[in-house]
Amino acid sequence: MVLSAQGSTSYAAALELSMRLAAGLRRSSLGRIGCLVTDQATLISLLAAASATGCETCTYPPGLPEAGVDELAAALHHTVVVTDRNVELTVARPLPVADLSTPGGSGAGSWSGAGSWSGSGDDAAAAPLLVLTTGTTGRPKAARHDWSRLVAAARRHATQPGERWLLGYNLNQFGGLQVMLHALVSGASLVVPRSNQPRDALDAMLRHGVTHASATPTFWRFIVALLDGGAVEGLQLRQITLGGEAAPGRLLDDLRRLFPDVRISHVYASTEFGSSVSVGDGRQGLPLGALEPSANGEVQLRIVDGQLEARSSVGMFGYYGDPDIGTGEWRPTGDLVEVQGDRIHFVGRATDTINVGGVKVHPLPIEEAVSAVDGVQLARVYGRPNAIAGQIVAVDVVAAPAYDPDALEDAIRWACRSFPPAAQPRRVRFVDAVGLREHKIARGEIASGEIGRP
Amino acid sequence: MPDAERVVFRTLRSMLRRRGGEATAVTVDSDLYGELALDSLEVAELSAVLEDDLGRDPYTEGITPRTVGEVIEFYDR
Repeated sequence: MVLSAQGSTSYAAALELSMRLAAGLRRSSLGRIGCLVTDQATLISLLAAASATGCETCTYPPGLPEAGVDELAAALHHTVVVTDRNVELTVARPLPVADLSTPGGSGAGSWSGAGSWSGSGDDAAAAPLLVLTTGTTGRPKAARHDWSRLVAAARRHATQPGERWLLGYNLNQFGGLQVMLHALVSGASLVVPRSNQPRDALDAMLRHGVTHASATPTFWRFIVALLDGGAVEGLQLRQITLGGEAAPGRLLDDLRRLFPDVRISHVYASTEFGSSVSVGDGRQGLPLGALEPSANGEVQLRIVDGQLEARSSVGMFGYYGDPDIGTGEWRPTGDLVEVQGDRIHFVGRATDTINVGGVKVHPLPIEEAVSAVDGVQLARVYGRPNAIAGQIVAVDVVAAPAYDPDALEDAIRWACRSFPPAAQPRRVRFVDAVGLREHKIARGEIASGEIGRP
Repeated sequence: MPDAERVVFRTLRSMLRRRGGEATAVTVDSDLYGELALDSLEVAELSAVLEDDLGRDPYTEGITPRTVGEVIEFYDR
């Protein structure tokens, strides 16, 4: 069931641990918990236990420093954080998983929801959960969801047992929960890499014969870089999914070239509205047909003032602390788009727009143009404060080894020459890493560690 | 600040080179907006590069130098 660097955990063992944890949750009368658990197999059992007992969970990023845990616990009013780490907290009480799972004298009764995730068809227990949004800027928010709706949505796309799914996201992310539920309702195995670094993920894919892998475009770009010129024969991939960010056309082409026989699709999904469109034609953007009312049963899309809006029957109920959003209510997605021919193209996030002397500039098309330049491994476009224009377009670039920075900067500027003057990068910095948050490019921060320039 | 002159010349020369067309000579007397014909976005770029490479720049401090020499003089203060 769960294959990781720590060994393998069977469905039976996970269920057994789940039942003990559910008994512990009942015994402790815990109604809401934060989950700070590094061992993914344990975390899955904890989430299953909580969903069966009606205890609301919020999974914290597993490596979050103590100060960050306290900050989250304060924001979400958590008084108990169940953890397998040795942490000292001031806001919440850390409760070791081992204590929760130790059978007590009473309360260890039957688990009504036992087996309900096995895909047999009976209803999963209804229970609330909070899912942190990663957001590409700013502080994370928590979206209120319900396990029963998420499980029901995963069931509709259940596939076959025997598949091996890579857990390419952390379980604090909506994408990670979707992969987990998808694997569980299908009776598939989940492969957990040693870390979520692409190199470790690639290692896990080879070692455990992963057949299905779902991750962000940024993650796949690293995988392409790792595989280019190397062997892909050892991989047994049958399905590659990209989600969480817009998938650039060049990356889709690179993946197609490396994996000619693998199904490659990109999905448009979010923590807020769930999964809407899955695009499998190898082209970037969404087909215009995605706007038709019947196109995606659970999630409808429309464009208002250049921004995609979604109306979802599988989305969140609202953010933590906010009132419920109305059923059937259209909500802005924050994704700015342009329709070109029969295609909807992503041009950026509403919050990422760069204001250059009053001209609104979207970073994504620039980022794609820069990323397509030979010698550029990764690029991040952002607005740099400027005394003359308010902001100017700046780009941080991770160069491939052995590229001359001056020549590469010329090539980058040449690649952007057809953009309007306000959208042309005015500052190119070579850095050893761009800010990434959960394998998405973080635009709100300035990366440090400039190299290649005096 | 011994670096300033070098940075100012290097920045202006690479901006003019990337602009293409006929090579324009840059001297301390060159008029930034006259003979070098910098537009506002090029001035914005000059301001950003100087700030990044030299720690401060005249435009951010509200000064608008007219010539290359005046930019360099700003760093002598």
